[in-house]
Amino acid sequence: MTTHAPSDNRSGPILLVEDNEVNRDMLIRRLKRAGFAVIWAGDGEEALAQMRQHQPSLVLLDINLPIKDGWQTCKEAREDADLRHIPIVALTAHAMDSDRLAALEAGFDDYATKPIDFPELVAKIQGFLNA
Amino acid sequence: MNRLLNDIRNRSLSLRARMYLFSAAILTLFAINVATHVWGSFARNESLLAYRDSVTATQLLTELGQSLEAHRQRVLVLATLRETTDDSLGQEEQQAAVEDLNSMASQLRGLGAISAEGAEDYYRRLHQSASTLLADWRQFYDDYNSTTREIALDTASVAYEDTLERLEELDGQQERLAVERSAAIDATISLTDRITVIGFVTTIAVTLFLVISLIAKTNARLRRLKKGAQRFGSGDLSHRIETHHDAGEILDLARTFNDMSSKLHYAIEEVRAAQSEADAANAAKSMFLANVSHELRTPLNAIIGYSEMLQDELGDGNPIDSDQFHHDLGTIILSGRQLLALINDILDLAKIETGKMPVALETFQPDALIFQVCDALAPLVAQNHNQLDLDIDRDSMTEMCSDPAKLQQIVTNLFSNACKFTEHGTIAVHAAMADGVLTLVVADTGIGMTPEQQDKVFEAFVQADAQTSTQYGGTGLGLAIVKDFCEMLGGNIQVESAPDAGSRFTVRLPAAPESDRASA
Repeated sequence: MTTHAPSDNRSGPILLVEDNEVNRDMLIRRLKRAGFAVIWAGDGEEALAQMRQHQPSLVLLDINLPIKDGWQTCKEAREDADLRHIPIVALTAHAMDSDRLAALEAGFDDYATKPIDFPELVAKIQGFLNA
Repeated sequence: MNRLLNDIRNRSLSLRARMYLFSAAILTLFAINVATHVWGSFARNESLLAYRDSVTATQLLTELGQSLEAHRQRVLVLATLRETTDDSLGQEEQQAAVEDLNSMASQLRGLGAISAEGAEDYYRRLHQSASTLLADWRQFYDDYNSTTREIALDTASVAYEDTLERLEELDGQQERLAVERSAAIDATISLTDRITVIGFVTTIAVTLFLVISLIAKTNARLRRLKKGAQRFGSGDLSHRIETHHDAGEILDLARTFNDMSSKLHYAIEEVRAAQSEADAANAAKSMFLANVSHELRTPLNAIIGYSEMLQDELGDGNPIDSDQFHHDLGTIILSGRQLLALINDILDLAKIETGKMPVALETFQPDALIFQVCDALAPLVAQNHNQLDLDIDRDSMTEMCSDPAKLQQIVTNLFSNACKFTEHGTIAVHAAMADGVLTLVVADTGIGMTPEQQDKVFEAFVQADAQTSTQYGGTGLGLAIVKDFCEMLGGNIQVESAPDAGSRFTVRLPAAPESDRASA
């Protein structure tokens, strides 16, 4: 029961959810340089609030987050009729195959391992935005 | 014997005892049969002999009667001749007559020999009469040639009649005896036949009963064994075969089976325990690797990300913001240093976990070492606007024989940890020695920990909260290493803390290794 047309999604900003300040600032700067509109959140709770408020076109969601971790945040977004259509890409330093599978099963649309391969991440984002 | 009776009462005989009892019973029955048969044959034989005697006696009686009659004819003829003629009796004739008399006497004796039991009286009377008759006849022959004497034939005639009568009486008696004895033989035969038949039927019945009951009993016990063995085979090793019905070999077998099962059970439990220990060790190793990978990737993400970004910015031809550039390079360097510290900690931890971390014992002054570390880390105190409360009780301090490098790392890690989690507070370091034990307290007025966080604070890769890792930095390995080092040096570490009430770590280390103090 989406109330937003897909075109609305594509026009929204990218939401980056990351608690590590150094990594967050770096990624925001690089995404902006690549031409994306970026908003950010430092924890899961704030991320859900930002999603409701700004209807981002895509969420880059870290897994290890304070207050509400990435798994829980993703789960709640998938259960929310207003948010479930927004693509969510997991960002994590957990690099095992089992972690990737767990992320895809938990409802993430894609998965990027730290250290981030930036060109690949950009390609993934564009893939979702042009879908 | 008592035991055997007891066993019989409890119906718990061994297979062997059962077989022996069965064999004894069957043999006894067989012996009874044989005895019956022997007695029967004997009785039949006895009766048969007596019967034969009766028949022989009857025969002899007939012969004797005939001889007597023939001789009387002869005597009568001779008597008539003597009266009518004067012919004397020739020597030879007389001889033949006497022999005839003798043969009759011997016939009479023969009759006497076989006239026993129930015929003696008759025989005695016959013998009396016949002896008189024979004596009369002998007299007759003696007197025959004498002219002077009269022959007393009258007497002989009376004796003859008498003898014949007795002869008939005895004959009748012998016939009655023969009938009686033949009836006795029939009775004996039928009795022994009956006993033999009953004996054989009983033997067969008892044998059949014993064999069937033996088979049934043994079968039931073997079935229980088989069932038990099958349950063991299917993996139910806690099963025990019931043994209270059994005795002897089957009981031994059942017990052996039960023993085998419990030993197997024990062995499998051991293997399982070893397996799960190995699994746990493997899981811990995998977890360690996953954690190491995770920890290394976080600073690398910053290093690679910032480096690529700076490269991009340099390449796009726009003017460089020199302050920003300088700050970004600082971030890269900081992350690099953090990565190095992390690698060192991981190597230490790996060495500790594989037991390859050496302890280098030296004699040193602990107060000096603690002071130097705190002095060197003074800038960390100032960073978060904290104050240092350093109290080293130098008077109590003696020389210490331990690993100074490890003590240094213990102090460093605890100190920097306290500085990291405290702002606008106090970092207190107190040290004193008593009873050969160095007590070092590092306390702060920082954010503190909940009891749950305290439980896990010495585990590798655990900071009290995922948030603290990113907010306060650090590898999350420092306290794990401190705890391991304390234990390697023969001491321990304790923590007291409450949220927002600071943390207090207390280290106790022996001034000398365990063996030295024991001998001192």
